[in-house]
Amino acid sequence: MDHELYLRRRADLVAGGFDRTARPVLLIDPDSRVAAASDGTGELLGCAAVDLVGRPVDELLRPRELFTSAGRESACTGQPVPVEVRHESGDWIAVEARCDAFDGLPATDDSDEPAEHLLLALFDVSQREHEDELRAVRMAKLSLLNQVSEALYGANLTLDQVLQAVLICITSGEGLRFNRAFMLLVDEQQETLRGELAIGPSNAEEASRIWEDLADGPADLFELMTTHDRSAANADVAVNEIVRNISVPLADADNLLVRSMHERHTLRVSRDLKVAGVEAVAGWLGCDEFAVAPLTTRRGPLGVVLADNAISRTPISALDLEFLQMFANQSASAIENSRLYHELERRLIDLRRAHQKQRENQQTLLRMERLSVMGETSAVVAHELRNPLVSIGGFARTLQRALDEADPNREYARIITEEVSRMETIVNDMLDFVRPQKQLRRMMVIDRLVAETVGRHLARLEEDGIELHYELGCGDLEVSCHPGEIQQVIENFLVNARQVLGPGGMIIVGTRPLAGGVRVVVGDDGPGFAADLADRMFAPFFSTKPTGSGLGLTICDQIIKAHGGVREARNRPVGGAEFAFILPFPRPGETDGS
Amino acid sequence: MSKILIVDDEPHLRLLYETEFRRAGYETMSAGSAAQGLEIIQSMKPALVVLDIRMAGMDGIEALQHILDRDSSVAVVLNTAYSSYKDNYMTWAADAYVTKSSDVTELLDTVREVLEKRLAAK
Repeated sequence: MDHELYLRRRADLVAGGFDRTARPVLLIDPDSRVAAASDGTGELLGCAAVDLVGRPVDELLRPRELFTSAGRESACTGQPVPVEVRHESGDWIAVEARCDAFDGLPATDDSDEPAEHLLLALFDVSQREHEDELRAVRMAKLSLLNQVSEALYGANLTLDQVLQAVLICITSGEGLRFNRAFMLLVDEQQETLRGELAIGPSNAEEASRIWEDLADGPADLFELMTTHDRSAANADVAVNEIVRNISVPLADADNLLVRSMHERHTLRVSRDLKVAGVEAVAGWLGCDEFAVAPLTTRRGPLGVVLADNAISRTPISALDLEFLQMFANQSASAIENSRLYHELERRLIDLRRAHQKQRENQQTLLRMERLSVMGETSAVVAHELRNPLVSIGGFARTLQRALDEADPNREYARIITEEVSRMETIVNDMLDFVRPQKQLRRMMVIDRLVAETVGRHLARLEEDGIELHYELGCGDLEVSCHPGEIQQVIENFLVNARQVLGPGGMIIVGTRPLAGGVRVVVGDDGPGFAADLADRMFAPFFSTKPTGSGLGLTICDQIIKAHGGVREARNRPVGGAEFAFILPFPRPGETDGS
Repeated sequence: MSKILIVDDEPHLRLLYETEFRRAGYETMSAGSAAQGLEIIQSMKPALVVLDIRMAGMDGIEALQHILDRDSSVAVVLNTAYSSYKDNYMTWAADAYVTKSSDVTELLDTVREVLEKRLAAK
């Protein structure tokens, strides 16, 4: 075999992971020296693997019979044989070895001849026990994770409770045993990854106190999750202050946390890792080593979980990381689930409310309809009873007066009178009850009300050839009034003006705000009126016109008085008449008096 | 003594009011409808009309307008089972408004007052 081949063989061996493997494997040359050793061997013996190369094997292994030609043959049975290896400290450790002949390599670097090597695979017996233990731990944790996730799915927890439960699970002794845990969620509005909630003590002293408390408290993890009262544990204040300060823009795509989330990588990070954001996170946490686990669902990334052992300074093991990753996956689903559930619940409540409201409205309508039918019926009955009652009672009174005081019939007549009075009271009450409610006052934009009213008369004014000018100056000012009644007043003024004007005449409709109310005026450029009529015009049945009841202005007067307003009629200085009224603004607290 | 016309479509009420007004010393006449009442007003010139509002045919409010159009020297007292007409602007034109009751005292008092006022105004 040429040297090149040797090197290639050797390179294959190394590329195959021989050197790097965590399993303890040794290659022994024909001279019984160590030709190669794996990292695992170094670890087992407490030294660097490269330092083992070239050392005589009997310094490291016993019994040495194993390395004689005869020994080798008896050892290479495929079955493990018990051996001892010497640890760097001088202690001998009992292990098992499986021996295989390995003749693919030359004896020395200069030789081309292949020589028989011995490959020893060592099995740490104690390590195997440890692995069994680990397997048991893994099983227990898996079962626990399963329990937790079932609990998170099944129970109707609020989002906050879910987050808290996840963090408790990461930190509790029964759970993942991290010292502290921090939940960061995506804030879609701010487009950041933002600290939401954290659990953990702020120093070692506090930690031991909390863990003692927990030890005395509920043993069951689920119970712990649901009963742990965060507000009572001031311990979490410090970590929550930390978490609230954490905020990373999602646009910062190179950032450790953002990357972990988007690339779905669970990482063990130490401060010297050269990735953007590591320094910052280590700074926030005040801890050189921490774990990052993404919270992602099929619908997309939710956030990340940070966990560390800032108090105990225990290194984060590969197993810790593995559990954190698994747990983070399940937590993400639980968080998503809780969010969706509560969103659904909220919508359901809205729907229920709307439904309830509709049903109530329907019932109110039905009740009102029934009441209204009853009311109408009783009004008819009451009215029909009224006239007969008046005549019965009236004549009974007449009789009573006509009869002699000694006559016993006089007393009977008195009884009839009295009973009729009672019935009349009942009938009156019934009629009062069913009397339709008067229209209530409302806040009205006065300019709009005036414009609307005038609008109804536009066509007729145009027909008559009368010009109309608006001088509305109240903007959005509102006054309290019965809109129908105020319209009646304005219409009355308009009709009066129209009647005195001929074609080419002009009507001016204006509004103006005053300190205490608004002034509405309808003026014309007609002949005006005799000065002594200014007040008499508002008296009943005053009319200068051959037709009409003479009640128009009287009604206007009554309406304006009922509104607490003032009316006036005067001749304009430029000629023509002007009718105006002032409506006061409502006093505070008075908006809909009638 | 003053002449009083009672307009009501209920015969028993007409009888009751006539009886009471006569006892009080008035000269009375009655009409069973607004139209008949308007005729009597023209022919007999009563000083005061006691006018029911709700009647078949022409109602009291319309009758009131006719009365006032023709001769506003006649006093009118509206006498009705409904208190709600008090809110009708038209009824303000009457001299008084009385709600019907088996106790006619209020009606008698009102009529006396209205007549006294009219007399004083002359």
